Amino acid sequence: MSAPTETHYGVLGIGPRATPEQVERAYRHAAGLYDQDSLATYSLLDVEEREQARERVEAAYAVLRDAARRHQYDVSLGIVSPTSAPAFAPAAAVAPGPDRPPVVVLPDPVTGADLKRFRESRGITLREISTASKVGIRYLEYIEAERKEVLPAPVYLRGFVQEYARVVGLDPRPTAESYVARVVSAR
Amino acid sequence: MSGALALALPRPVRRQIWSIGGGKGGIGKSLLAASLGWQLARLGKRVVLVDADLGGANLHTCLGLPGPSRGLGDFILRRVERLEDVVVDTPFPRLSLISGASDVLGAANINYQQKLRVLNKLRALDVDVVLIDLGAGTSHNIIDFFLISDVSLLAVVPEPTSIENGYRFIKSALYRRLRNAAPNPAVREVIDAALDPKNAHGIRTPLDLLAAVEREDANAVAPLRRELGEFHPRFVVNQVRSPADIAVGHQLVTACARHLGVRASYAGYVHYDDVVWRAVRERRLFVEKDPDSAPSQDVRQIARGLVEGETLALAW
Repeated sequence: MSAPTETHYGVLGIGPRATPEQVERAYRHAAGLYDQDSLATYSLLDVEEREQARERVEAAYAVLRDAARRHQYDVSLGIVSPTSAPAFAPAAAVAPGPDRPPVVVLPDPVTGADLKRFRESRGITLREISTASKVGIRYLEYIEAERKEVLPAPVYLRGFVQEYARVVGLDPRPTAESYVARVVSAR
Repeated sequence: MSGALALALPRPVRRQIWSIGGGKGGIGKSLLAASLGWQLARLGKRVVLVDADLGGANLHTCLGLPGPSRGLGDFILRRVERLEDVVVDTPFPRLSLISGASDVLGAANINYQQKLRVLNKLRALDVDVVLIDLGAGTSHNIIDFFLISDVSLLAVVPEPTSIENGYRFIKSALYRRLRNAAPNPAVREVIDAALDPKNAHGIRTPLDLLAAVEREDANAVAPLRRELGEFHPRFVVNQVRSPADIAVGHQLVTACARHLGVRASYAGYVHYDDVVWRAVRERRLFVEKDPDSAPSQDVRQIARGLVEGETLALAW
């Protein structure tokens, strides 16, 4: 079992620089892991152990999702000074660091199926991409399905694919260039 | 160094042994082995598939071959002297097979010396990858092949019985590895006791076991911790039907780390699709018959990832 002194960050498996978006994703992963229907833990933990683990996850999430409580917690851990302001930069403004895996470049040409496969392998939903990127879910679906007849003009499409790539952890520029070049040439 | 001299020198060979285990039968392990071997060969690797499922060998059928007249059993029983003599070609370039279909080893029992001889000869084969399809269960022979592998794959399907057996497989493999590294009989005794789920020490996980060993002999725990750190199974989730099924692989990795202290990784997943079933009926490999299908693309992804040392990781 995990150590009782584990920090809230440790419970969710993230670092103290995690963005709110990362906190959310890590919480959903951990909550799923200890759900009563979870395949991964039902034979590994008994009911009581699973309940305890779930409580730790909920307690961690309750603190880390709340900017003020998280700041207070960070102060108690000595990560930030009491006088500093709560810092919650959106994901876009956070430079890749130790808490975030390096961006990936998919082999050229990048297809809609490639994007979908990569997204699913990272456990990210279209709704999350939409929330983080402000690109409508319908357009994200069109991009994955390569619905050329309804995709926007290349200049907008490039931006949408860059946003998609950024959220899932792909290198935005080459991903968008490769995808758009292929789709436009096929039109 | 001149170009001519560079050409004259033999290229350094990095031969690797890969194995695919999975506690439970009927989860598509042999198909996975055959299709992964096919894909590696497509990537330019010289591959020999080894059917070590000595009680229920059928890798030849997955490849569309009739049962070869000679197999691994003939080598083990010294009916042939050289392992190369039981290697048969397949219809696919760079892919060959050592069958387990000779039925001489139905009980799948081979002794330690025989096992050592097989392992040494497998290492000496002139190929890039030796890919071993292990049988179901957690017998010592299966576990030993798994443990000597450079890449140890553990196939599961997203079902409770398969996952449960997968954990059992991991524990059995790890405890055997720890036992081999145990510095004295007292520690071996603790490890043996841990194999019984109702053991008197209250050991349920490898982390519990290390704590029990530490209580028994504080100096003995360091080499065991090293062994634990070097134990690195890689999950393949077969027959996924939904994103939730794909996520099971990530959850298994997290559960292994947090609750077993095992550093596992996620090699990839293969979608459930009727193209696989249809290919099996025709005794063909789905990756060859329908290379653009989702499961074929999945296997390609897994092969590439393993060759390039990449695993699936969550995006944070």
